[in-house]
Amino acid sequence: MSHLVGVVAVLSLPNPRPAFVVALAAPLVSAAWAASKLSGGEVDTARLDWVEGLDLAFSFRVGPLGALLAVLVSGIGVLIFVYGHGYFGGGDRRGFAATLLAFSGSMLGLVWADDVWTLFLFWEATSVTSFLLVGTKSTDSTAVTAARRALLVTVAGGLVLLAGLLVLVDVAGTATLSEMGPVTGDQATVAAVLVLVGAFTKSAQLPFHVWLPGAMAAPTPVSAYLHSATMVKAGIVLIGVMHPVLGAVDIWSGLGVTVGLLTMFWGAIGALRHADAKLVLAWGTVSQLGLMTAMMSLGSGKAIFAAVSLVVAHAVFKAALFMAVGEIDIRTGSRDLRSLSGLRASMPVAFWVMVFAGLSMAGVPPLLGFPAKEAAIEASLNESGASGDLILAGVTIGSVLTVAYTTRLVLALFSDKGGEPTEVAPFRWAAAAPSVLLSVLGVVGYVLAPSVTDWVVPAAATLETKSAGYALLRWPGLDSTAFWISMGIVAGGAIIGAAAARHSSPPETVGANNVDRLVDRTLDLAKWITGRVQHGSLPIYLVVMALAASLAVIPFLGSIDADQLHAWDRPLQAGMGTTVVAAAIAVAVIRSRIGAALALGVVGLGVSALFLIQGAPDLALTQLLVETVIVVGFVIGLGGLTTQFPANGFVWRSVRIGTAVLAGAAVTAALLASAENTPSNREALVAVAVDEGGGNNLVNVILTDLRALDTLGEVVVLVVAAMGVLALSRADTARGGGAPLSDDVRKGRR
Amino acid sequence: MSVTLALVVGGLTSVGVYLITSRSLTRLLLGFALLGHAAVLALLAAGGEAGERPISGDAPVAELSDPLPQAFALTAIVISFGLTLFLLALARRQAQLTGDDLVEDDLEDRRIALETEAEGDDA
Repeated sequence: MSHLVGVVAVLSLPNPRPAFVVALAAPLVSAAWAASKLSGGEVDTARLDWVEGLDLAFSFRVGPLGALLAVLVSGIGVLIFVYGHGYFGGGDRRGFAATLLAFSGSMLGLVWADDVWTLFLFWEATSVTSFLLVGTKSTDSTAVTAARRALLVTVAGGLVLLAGLLVLVDVAGTATLSEMGPVTGDQATVAAVLVLVGAFTKSAQLPFHVWLPGAMAAPTPVSAYLHSATMVKAGIVLIGVMHPVLGAVDIWSGLGVTVGLLTMFWGAIGALRHADAKLVLAWGTVSQLGLMTAMMSLGSGKAIFAAVSLVVAHAVFKAALFMAVGEIDIRTGSRDLRSLSGLRASMPVAFWVMVFAGLSMAGVPPLLGFPAKEAAIEASLNESGASGDLILAGVTIGSVLTVAYTTRLVLALFSDKGGEPTEVAPFRWAAAAPSVLLSVLGVVGYVLAPSVTDWVVPAAATLETKSAGYALLRWPGLDSTAFWISMGIVAGGAIIGAAAARHSSPPETVGANNVDRLVDRTLDLAKWITGRVQHGSLPIYLVVMALAASLAVIPFLGSIDADQLHAWDRPLQAGMGTTVVAAAIAVAVIRSRIGAALALGVVGLGVSALFLIQGAPDLALTQLLVETVIVVGFVIGLGGLTTQFPANGFVWRSVRIGTAVLAGAAVTAALLASAENTPSNREALVAVAVDEGGGNNLVNVILTDLRALDTLGEVVVLVVAAMGVLALSRADTARGGGAPLSDDVRKGRR
Repeated sequence: MSVTLALVVGGLTSVGVYLITSRSLTRLLLGFALLGHAAVLALLAAGGEAGERPISGDAPVAELSDPLPQAFALTAIVISFGLTLFLLALARRQAQLTGDDLVEDDLEDRRIALETEAEGDDA
């Protein structure tokens, strides 16, 4: 709630300067509130009914996990706002600060949601707000493309998730997460796959990772926030939240772990090859998310514990790394590993931040990343059999590469390349302080590992009760296998990283291009279809419509009941009917305008006669009058026009005739199939008409008394039409009205 | 249901549809008039069998034709009359401005169609 207030407050600020300062009040409040819940262990719920009949409600539940994640989201959010203040310096950033705040609020809603629909709404809200944030530089075409790509991928994933949730709610019998029990079976498998795919798109897993590296086109505060505590973590959180429900489905952990480990590997490769420091970090995020996805979906107690620990550790160090790179960016104007030189001396603060945060990312003691990584390795060690070996191998290789790209990043960024050191702009406290704080937190977190354990364990235990017994170990001891694997990883990675520091050949962003190409193709296809379908010819539209309408009759053909049909009501009907149809055909065949108009008059007269035969003299009278006026109107109105209709081609004519015959047949069939009319209650009508309407002519009484308002409306329509006719026919004589006409056109045509 | 009436309605619809798919606004207008006739007759046919004119006292109540569909039909006649006259005025105005009463293709739609055709040729 405080975020909503904050958004309004920021947008209504009279003075743009303190936008970020005001904005950070909201996350500060929620961070403090969530922190107070951290160790308490009690659960807060809130529910706001939305649509009662559909059982839709905004339902929230803040347990240990919700509190922990909220501390991350809001705590890092506060630092991001401070950092943003320093990053942007001056300028009006009210809109940006408000969007960032809205994004942060959506993320909170997501982690607190206790109802799948609430979760879904906030899930989509983060997609939309992150789109706005990534596309902040709306004049930069790269940023716009990246934002569009991010939106398309995440929203497409959102749709898949929606489908998954629908299936899930159906099989689980409730939309409330805390009431869902474990589900299995075919339907649950479908739900599991769909939910996982949704999570993969958000958390940038293969092959949906394409949007994340592009999203670093956003201003660095956004990247730092998106990549650390929010957005990409949504998928991990989703997998975690769904673990108690879908974790028992066979395919769940297999699919999640496979995709996660592949992503970890591919992301690390990407991070090793790029030369843009921010891109390296973005690819690093992809890789780290892979590890978290794998751990979270592996689903053993230890693995879930490891995943939650990794989420915490990653949020802290990745935000610090992004902030440091962003600081380098704004002070030197470059992020290129190949050109920046001498920064170690000129930017010592950024250097030490990068070293500490980097070591945490690599999983080196004494930093928070180390015990988290240890937990992941131990979780893989606990897995038995061939699949266990594969998982261990995957985690190990991925971690070696993680150490490698971290080493390479720090070495390459701060090395002396020879020549002049890069020029550096003045130091800004607001831009540096948050990253310093976060990197120090990495150390503090390590030192206070037991306290961190106290927060992480209850959170993990809400997902998987078996997580309860574990702890983050500062020093696992020399007889621990995981420790030696960990040390091997660090050593191997450092060597590869040092070697790779001198090379960079960015890989083709194949996937990203494919997404863009898909978008372009879709647009082209849409244009092509529009060109074909909407070609601008009114007659063709009408033919299509008539055909479609005719086909709609087909389902009713079966209800034609021969017993209810008779040839004619009175023999005269047949004779007059033939006349009418013959005259109608004449209207179409006669090529002279006046002749056609006269034939139309004959049709009208015939129809009047049919009315008479039917027992409707009022209709007949009216029709007679109307027909006369129309024929006169034709003669006056179109007398001056070319007297012949233009002829058209044979094919088109045949199509029209075919359509016409079909439409006529359809209407006839529809009439024949329509149910027999229940006559209105004539006795009652007669009574009403004579006693209350004071008239014997029932039709007249209906029109002037019973349906008087309708008739009034009808009169209004006639008046409006008459005014239109008058205006149109006087347009050519009015001064200054109408379009100018050359004299010869006038003379020739009139 | 009188088969004759149904056939007449179908026939009028056929010719009407044929005419409204024409490019000439005048024929379009003729088509609308015919479709109007078809609609009114359909209303009437759906109203039941023929009977005596619905005037109280002229015949036993049971022999009167149903007045309710007739009232609807009367409204329909009047509205289609208004529509026909308005179209007539439109056709006349069009003829004054362009010299004929042909319905042109929508220019914007044609532009899109031509663009994609051109792109198709490139590929």
